[in-house]
Amino acid sequence: MTVVDARNVEVQDLGHNFFVTKDHLGQSRGKTVTELLLELNSEVAGEYVQKDPAEIIANSPEFFDQFTLVIATQLDGESVQRLADVCWEAELPLVVVRVHGLIGYSRIVVPEHTVIESHPEQIVDLRFDCPFETLRQFADSFDLESLDSHSYGHVPYIVILLKCVEHWKGLHGGALPSNGTERSDFKDLIRSTQRPDLLENQNFEEALSAAYRAWTPTTIPASINAIINDDRASKLSSKTPNFWFIAKAVQEFVANEGQGYLPLPGNVPDMHADSDSYIKLQTIFRAKAREDAATVSRRVQALLATVGEPSDRVPQDEIDRFCKNAGYLKVIRYRSLKEEYHPSSAKSKEIGNWLESDPADNIGWYIMLRVYEDCYARNKLYPGLSSEHLENDAAALRKAYENFMTERGLNASLVPDEHIEEFTRAGGSELHVLAALQGGLVAQEVIKLLTRQYVPLDNTVIFNGMKSIASVYSL
Amino acid sequence: MSFAQPQHILNPELRWHDLYKYLDRPGPYANEGFTPGAVVKEFLHSIKILVVGAGGLGCELLKDLALTGFTDIHVIDMDTIDISNLNRQFLFRASDVGRSKAETAAEFIMKRVPGVTITPFFGKIQDKDEDYYDQFTIIICGLDSVEARRWINATVVNMYDEDYPETFKPIIDGGTEGFKGQSRIILPSITACYECSLDMQTKPTTYPMCTIANTPRLPEHCIEWASVLEWPREFPEKKLDGDDPEHIKWLLDRASSRAKEFDITGVTYSLAQGVVKNIIPAIASTNAIVAASCATEAFKIATNCSTPMSNYMMYVGDQGVYTYTFELQKKEDCPVCGGVSIKIEIHPSATLQDLIDLLMERKDTQLKKPSLRTESTSLYMQAPRMLEEATRPNLVRTIADLLSDGEQVTVTDEALPISMNMTVHFTG
Repeated sequence: MTVVDARNVEVQDLGHNFFVTKDHLGQSRGKTVTELLLELNSEVAGEYVQKDPAEIIANSPEFFDQFTLVIATQLDGESVQRLADVCWEAELPLVVVRVHGLIGYSRIVVPEHTVIESHPEQIVDLRFDCPFETLRQFADSFDLESLDSHSYGHVPYIVILLKCVEHWKGLHGGALPSNGTERSDFKDLIRSTQRPDLLENQNFEEALSAAYRAWTPTTIPASINAIINDDRASKLSSKTPNFWFIAKAVQEFVANEGQGYLPLPGNVPDMHADSDSYIKLQTIFRAKAREDAATVSRRVQALLATVGEPSDRVPQDEIDRFCKNAGYLKVIRYRSLKEEYHPSSAKSKEIGNWLESDPADNIGWYIMLRVYEDCYARNKLYPGLSSEHLENDAAALRKAYENFMTERGLNASLVPDEHIEEFTRAGGSELHVLAALQGGLVAQEVIKLLTRQYVPLDNTVIFNGMKSIASVYSL
Repeated sequence: MSFAQPQHILNPELRWHDLYKYLDRPGPYANEGFTPGAVVKEFLHSIKILVVGAGGLGCELLKDLALTGFTDIHVIDMDTIDISNLNRQFLFRASDVGRSKAETAAEFIMKRVPGVTITPFFGKIQDKDEDYYDQFTIIICGLDSVEARRWINATVVNMYDEDYPETFKPIIDGGTEGFKGQSRIILPSITACYECSLDMQTKPTTYPMCTIANTPRLPEHCIEWASVLEWPREFPEKKLDGDDPEHIKWLLDRASSRAKEFDITGVTYSLAQGVVKNIIPAIASTNAIVAASCATEAFKIATNCSTPMSNYMMYVGDQGVYTYTFELQKKEDCPVCGGVSIKIEIHPSATLQDLIDLLMERKDTQLKKPSLRTESTSLYMQAPRMLEEATRPNLVRTIADLLSDGEQVTVTDEALPISMNMTVHFTG
């Protein structure tokens, strides 16, 4: 990590910065903070640059080319906008962070962020309505009538449901239970297969609880269809990231070998069953998943060849993970800061609506933060910094606020006047507790962006430390 | 040439420049009764505050409180530092492994932040009495167990006597688990207390014994088999220690053999340790967020500069960022802060043992070894041994035999430092 900061450690820092000490007063703040941070993890390399970030942004923005991600804290509004443009051009993820008294703010800016491992609560794809060959054979291999009581009570519920679905389809021309009455009848069908002498019957209880999975057709979610049919997947080039090569391969798989279905993830939830049957079931699912992944892999290699890329460019492990998570992929296309700020593309109407339905909506604080920066840009003065002319400062902030609202066609009465007073009162203070809280939120988002696991927020979070409420907006 | 004295360097107006904006200036969203100026600043800098726990949340809390102007902080923790703590308990270094968390944390903070005193106690919260807890203005918990929270909650809430306002001690409670966390404020007799929300706690994963003994399917089943069944068979006198690598190696070996027998894959050293210690992976960011939220509330409560949260915030961070803040209601029949007795309904032909089983099953009471008595007599007492033997025959007697319909029964239990009143009503 590299810390960029022009200043030296001052007494004021001792009141809210944990990574400086009084022995460092007068020394480079960037250097001090870097040294003390590195104590937390010996595997981290760190450097500092003793320069004003605003100066680098204005005069040597190529400085940022060397980084994977940029975090900008407490930067003035104009510098943030310039930095956002620089990073956007370079497709470099930028996270903007601010705290102002009891309000915290962060914004993630990056043209595109793809996630294979979004870590959903559960990955479940059991194909009850369209069992693949080996699964069908496995279910058929169970002659329920002939089993003794003990074995009957240990038949995996997947087998029970498969048999019930098949039976139902036979009686209804291939259709699944499709309304309340039919679903109720389907559950009765499951109950009818229970043996009266078996009180245990946990596998049948599991079958009943999972009945809805049996009558819900296996489909591809709309969001996933959008991803595999996305322009980026259709228009591959040597510069296209791996994610889109695999997406295209999966699209082709779905249209051909997959017969309309995604590659099988292959996991089987735990269930009441004898070990032997359960392991067999797991093996069958895993084998089919491997087979599907291998097919997708062959297609990835063919696609790479069409653009002259080496066939091993995309690691097998990445393809396997993609196939396993195919039903849960995420692609986020963030709006640029330019789009957010420019009156022609800003979400002014939405903001107006949110405030009209709830004057206490945290978006009011977003407006305050924007207006605070506008005030500085206009007057080269941050309102509320000094206690001497608080009333004048509040008036200046109010003026900037009114301009902001007018420019966006919004009624100036939407944000309560108290917000302006409170914001002036807070006077740009950086309270440690808010910085720590916002820092925690941002740190986690940064880790998500770097690891491409879990889902980052899109795109702004405001934390209100007065009410203890975080609100996320897509601005 | 000598340079400026430390006192000049630590000029509070400069040092606490940001903080004092909230304490010197009035504001429209300040809490009722807020008076800016010297008095509130002095109060903040002089009160005693207790942090319970010096682990993931505790480290963050101590830092946050020290940098929010609290200067007299006490911290309790009964644990020593383990290498697995180092990914987030940032006041500890590799060379501190084995030392007391409370003492090491106190040392670090005092070295880093001038003018703050942290008084550690290396021991259990139960080792301290009411006099100890009485000295604090605010108590903040960063605990990892339901039992410890129940104990502190019951102790502090019961200390409150309306006639003596100094006995009113707000509790701020934080908890985290992976990407999830919560922070809440407990104002004794005013808001819901910890016991009021006991049934909200999720129970840890347990596996059915028949699965473990006969039909294992997951690597976890094999590990539980080794730890719950095999170990006591082989070492009847020795207690399994999840922190002893030799013990874990033994488990790994046995669990692997069993897994092989059943064609199960996935038994690893870390899984074995995780299952035995019921470890849920902890991440630094959640601790930072929840602790900061608790410290923010402490700042607001101590100064009134803004309104405290009302009164419970839940946080989830794996898919975006999500918080849900709501006002948890008091439970009328809460054994700790409620005015009304818990009503238990049971058939008169049921036995006393049945009643005890019922109490242990209920999510809203979560008792471990309850002792019961009426106004006039002991029904069943778990201790001392003589009394247990004397009351044991009552266990098989019927409720009708022992009680009248609607009679009040007092329950005591090691999980609760206070007694619980309930009325037993006959059904059917």
